[in-house]
Amino acid sequence: MSVLTLFTGGKRLHAETGDPRRGAPSDGEVVRAVLAGDRERYAVLVERYRDRYARYAARMLGSSDAAEDAVQDAFVRAYDQLAQCQDPNKFVGWFFLILRNRCFAEQRKSRSHVSLEAASSVPTGDRSDAGTETAERRRALQEALMGLTAEQREVFVLKHVEGLSYIQIAERLNTSVPSLKMRMHRAYDKLREQLRDHA
Amino acid sequence: MTKSEFDPQVKQLLDGELTLADLPAELRQEGEEALRLLAAVDREPLSLPAVTWRVMATLERRRQRRLTWLLAPALAAAAALVLWFGRPANPPAAASSAMVTVRFVLVAPGAHQVSVAGTFNRWDPSATPLVRSGSADVWVATLSLPPGQHQYAFVVDGVRWVPDPTAPAIDDGFGRRNSVLTL
Repeated sequence: MSVLTLFTGGKRLHAETGDPRRGAPSDGEVVRAVLAGDRERYAVLVERYRDRYARYAARMLGSSDAAEDAVQDAFVRAYDQLAQCQDPNKFVGWFFLILRNRCFAEQRKSRSHVSLEAASSVPTGDRSDAGTETAERRRALQEALMGLTAEQREVFVLKHVEGLSYIQIAERLNTSVPSLKMRMHRAYDKLREQLRDHA
Repeated sequence: MTKSEFDPQVKQLLDGELTLADLPAELRQEGEEALRLLAAVDREPLSLPAVTWRVMATLERRRQRRLTWLLAPALAAAAALVLWFGRPANPPAAASSAMVTVRFVLVAPGAHQVSVAGTFNRWDPSATPLVRSGSADVWVATLSLPPGQHQYAFVVDGVRWVPDPTAPAIDDGFGRRNSVLTL
């Protein structure tokens, strides 16, 4: 008898999943179950974290489509390397580093033609007439962000888009606060220059 | 310092370490320009609902390919044996050897009940319930189906018909989409 397994992603039917306070399994429990052979349980982690860093990836890569590909690819890579996740309870931090590497690799690959026009494909929230000016300013800033180095852009995105403090970013990227500030301050100057050109 | 560089105190303003009121009067205008820059930051969240099934479908496709590679030598050997010995004395029952085991999996956070209904169970939503996999929101059912084409959909909480986003679908003629599984 042949065996065919059909996976179905299904729809997101209700609000956020996986809150341990509501009895959902912890990341560590899910990771251990997947490693023990319950492969379908990996969908729980994907469902739980696919949106958390979607915005980071979109701002890093300048396009929602590129972000979707990067997040998908990062989850597949994370699955392949799951046994190397030393602390399953910290799956999300470990996953972030995989996604980050994927974003940086993508940046290197397309460095010769960093797509400023791609920036316009990052969705801007306000599309009303009253918000046209805001949308235009957002687009201009996103274009300017794409003119930064990936390292500079990342610090800006983590601090000013994701709202992390320098200390939190330093912990996540395993670096020092002064080094992050140096990157950020260069980014500020470069953004100012580019936005002036844009104006 | 070139004209395009922000004053170090303005950078502290951008970092949130100073307020506009902390800046000396001559830096206020530059500070306002800096704050306008931050005001343009887009913090709208982004949702990627298709990623879940895309990831799981990718993993499953790879597993199927690996399975095919593993089975291929065994099937070749079996075929050779049949050729060598001729017709087996006790051939297995045609019906059971032709059946294909299919596992249906649906991620349905918050659902209380999930079933699969299709041409193989006369579209009866109560005939084939899926069971929750552990404590997660993953629902699973394993069926043995004959080769051929089957149409189906998932039924969530007895009322919501959900097509399979990973499978091709056809219009059922009543405004709904049926997923199609070809075995």
